[in-house]
Amino acid sequence: MSVEKQKALALSLTGSVFAGNRFSNYLWVAPLALGFTVWELITRFGVVPRNSLPTFSSVLVVFFSSIQSETFLLRIAHSFLNLVFGLLLGFAIALPLAFAAGSKHRFDLTFTPLIMLFGALPDLSFLPLLVLWFGPGNVAAVIMASVAGFFPIYFTVREGTRNIPRELFDVTTIFKSGRLSTFTKMVLPAISPHMFSGLRLAYDFAWEIIIAIEIATRMAGIGNFIDGNITSGSLQSGFAAILAIALVAIVVDRAFFGSLESWAKKWA
Amino acid sequence: MGKEVGIMDNHVELDNVSKFYDAERKLHALHEVSFGIGHGEFVSIVGPSGCGKSTLLKIIAGLDKPSSGEVRFNGGPVQGPHDKISMVFQAFGLFPWRNVLENVEYGLEMQKVPKKERREVSEQYLEMVGLGGYEHMYPKQLSGGMRQRVGIARALAVEPEVVLMDEAFSAIDEVTAEVLREEVTDIHKQTGKTFVLVTHNLSEAIELADKVVVLSSRPARVKKVMPVSLERPRDRTHSMFVHMHKDILHLLKEELENTLIRHKLKGIKELQSIHDIEAQGSTAKPKQPLLTT
Repeated sequence: MSVEKQKALALSLTGSVFAGNRFSNYLWVAPLALGFTVWELITRFGVVPRNSLPTFSSVLVVFFSSIQSETFLLRIAHSFLNLVFGLLLGFAIALPLAFAAGSKHRFDLTFTPLIMLFGALPDLSFLPLLVLWFGPGNVAAVIMASVAGFFPIYFTVREGTRNIPRELFDVTTIFKSGRLSTFTKMVLPAISPHMFSGLRLAYDFAWEIIIAIEIATRMAGIGNFIDGNITSGSLQSGFAAILAIALVAIVVDRAFFGSLESWAKKWA
Repeated sequence: MGKEVGIMDNHVELDNVSKFYDAERKLHALHEVSFGIGHGEFVSIVGPSGCGKSTLLKIIAGLDKPSSGEVRFNGGPVQGPHDKISMVFQAFGLFPWRNVLENVEYGLEMQKVPKKERREVSEQYLEMVGLGGYEHMYPKQLSGGMRQRVGIARALAVEPEVVLMDEAFSAIDEVTAEVLREEVTDIHKQTGKTFVLVTHNLSEAIELADKVVVLSSRPARVKKVMPVSLERPRDRTHSMFVHMHKDILHLLKEELENTLIRHKLKGIKELQSIHDIEAQGSTAKPKQPLLTT
């Protein structure tokens, strides 16, 4: 396949990815297309030297050959799995604490200031310690992602729990709901809009942390791949990897969080 | 469920119910409240604002416990929520994530009634409150009046013997509330269930009730029990209605004056803390917000 054909294919493929049925409003395509065009023009006509910024079309070509490479996909999967496990861990720890803080005033007064204190610290400042304890590997990455995800989940769920109208607790009591069903059928749905925004924020934070860790500790993953390629001068590969992460982030954001939020929008 | 109701076969009986919010017995909400509610009777409870009428209703519901005395239902003490005592809430108490039908089904779901059956029963009560065809709407899509109809259908769907209504018409615009009151009168007549309504609206209390219980200011005592012998549907301009309204108003004004005098004598501190508790709601967290922070 000629370079020109690959380019054409690349462009048409991106078109079909972005034309997914979840995007009912296409207005955002215009500034995006404009951005890519400007990128292409300023690099093609040498406004910006190509050893600083490769052309957009060359990045696309490398992108499409990269995503056919198993090792490339495995790197992304590796980073993504660390992120998912980290988020799950952070969620599992934050959720019960946030419920306690949202419903028990004393607990809130005792622990929330402490949690705020830790939250004020830049998350990455824990990294050297984690690397010292666990080595520069998946354990450190998962823990860091869970730390990054913990705070937005904790504060949104706490707020959501506080906002449950007291009357709804009376309703569950009057109709003799058990503890478990009060939790699953009342508390959980009641806080879900808050919880979803918390999760979404946590997801964004965790991505940043995962990439930062991989760059800082040179552990395997897509962050390390970007770093390695850009410092060694293979800018196209680095940008292709960034594009790939962006796609994963957007697709998960739309498909997962988007559908959660559209469920909540139906009634909230 | 005969029409002749003797004092001995009350459906619900309040026997010297007292309530303190604190262990030191300083925050006194209810003082030895006693009265009976007959089978199929509609009782309205009125009192000065903040006197503890909602607390009283919550005690009847089993949502709150009396500090002394007891509430008896069918002769047995009420020790918590009862399958046969249901409630309609001031702010409707609907679950926004459930559609109309699912909200009405909630009580039956908690009683583990099979899905098909609870669906049928709920449909039937939705029909009764005039919401047939609205099953799949969400509460946010409904007006206040319609939401309260859902609340009423949910309360009735568990087939209770007693329906408690806590300021059930207060959050609804007056015209809609009036229509709803007429429908509740019909439902009362049709079903023969016992109704207890707490309200600050005197006309509403008289319009609906067989008997109006007037409470004093805090600590609430029974100031007067007034039977309403007017024919239904009731005419608010009927001289008996007007007189009764005037009498109750007079009683409540008297209480208000007593309260003002007490304020001056005892200082407002105690009342302030009681108001804080009421504002936070006393049932969900009976222990935590006892004293002001």
